[in-house]
Amino acid sequence: MRTLKILVGSLTVSLMAMAQAPAAKFDPKDLTGIYHRETPFQTYSNVPGGANELQAFLLGQAAAPQKLNQPTEEAPFTAAGQKAFDKNIPSYGRRITAPRLGNDPQAMCDPWGVPRMLNGQVAGPHSTLEIQVTKGRTFMFAAWHHDYRIVYTDGRKLPKVDEVEPRWNGYSVGAWEGDTFVVHSVGFDARAWLDHNGYPHSEEMQLEERYHKKDADFMEMDETIVDPLYYSKPFKSDHKVWKLIKDWDKQWDEQIYCVPSEELKFNNLIRDGNVGK
Amino acid sequence: MKMKLMSALTLGLALMAVPMLAHHGTSVTYQTDKTISMSGVVTEFSFSYPHPQLYFDVTGADGKVVKWGTEWGPTPLMLKNMNVGWTRASIKPGDKVDVVCNPHKVATATACLMKELTVNGTKMKLGGGGNGKKKEE
Repeated sequence: MRTLKILVGSLTVSLMAMAQAPAAKFDPKDLTGIYHRETPFQTYSNVPGGANELQAFLLGQAAAPQKLNQPTEEAPFTAAGQKAFDKNIPSYGRRITAPRLGNDPQAMCDPWGVPRMLNGQVAGPHSTLEIQVTKGRTFMFAAWHHDYRIVYTDGRKLPKVDEVEPRWNGYSVGAWEGDTFVVHSVGFDARAWLDHNGYPHSEEMQLEERYHKKDADFMEMDETIVDPLYYSKPFKSDHKVWKLIKDWDKQWDEQIYCVPSEELKFNNLIRDGNVGK
Repeated sequence: MKMKLMSALTLGLALMAVPMLAHHGTSVTYQTDKTISMSGVVTEFSFSYPHPQLYFDVTGADGKVVKWGTEWGPTPLMLKNMNVGWTRASIKPGDKVDVVCNPHKVATATACLMKELTVNGTKMKLGGGGNGKKKEE
């Protein structure tokens, strides 16, 4: 009986200790690390359920997304924005179209640009986003398409939209607001899409990203664009969550380039069905 | 051409296709509710991104050779460093292959989405880990 009491007591103490275990310490202002995306990709649109989930439903391979019957909030397009959206024909999401009939810049290996680089990382082991912080600059490396962008943190001011030439990844400056790393960007090349679903942006787009470490394991991010030419009000993406990879030394460099010669051959012979012709 | 249309499609195969929806409109390119099977001789194995591609010749009963191509993947997950264990030498020109795949939606296209692959009598793993070669079950 005494032994039993000791065992129960020990178990109780252990459980209490587990329950009261302090959360792992972390520096909320250190974003350095290699992360895997936890939330679905290709979900810039505000359509509930996420594009993957909805796509599976449309194909009869999954039940309807829970929120499908609720009012959806489509992007607040201006007339010009709607026209640009209609012109973009994606091979993903609600408007999924065979690549031979679409015009996703990805099919030509054009750069994804920012923010698609952040939105479009493919799920799974090659969804890696690595962040490295140096004095005055923060680098973000996206495994998919083997691309990176620079965020200047040396205190420089964000230029005005008409002061910079449009570039694929724009021109970004970042600063801490409390425990949130806030990145503001302008100067984007309008040939890039916001995401795999073909949501467009103009050269006037201004992008805000807000990175926040929830705890030692997870980083979350919200992004909002202001693009009065294409959207009548600020347009938010889905809430994104990345998990910090602890065994980063076991990761390996996949070097997932989009190689035009390989991509074009694949699309022509296989996807367009021209093998043997 | 040694090829026959397998009438039904199994729900299992449909579900297997789901993870591949993540790339390039796979689901709207192929007839995922049908499978075809054929045997042929490999002319090229392209172990490149975004998806591995296998090109092979299928000789019909009339002696006519038809060139086919098929894909699966995605490539990063097939690599030896990752789950499945493929290398660019996993298949060589001249290898004899048996292919079960979803036909293209363009009726005249001789391209398809790989579902099962046997190379020189050995069934190959198309996903899920291991060293690439799959023992007969």
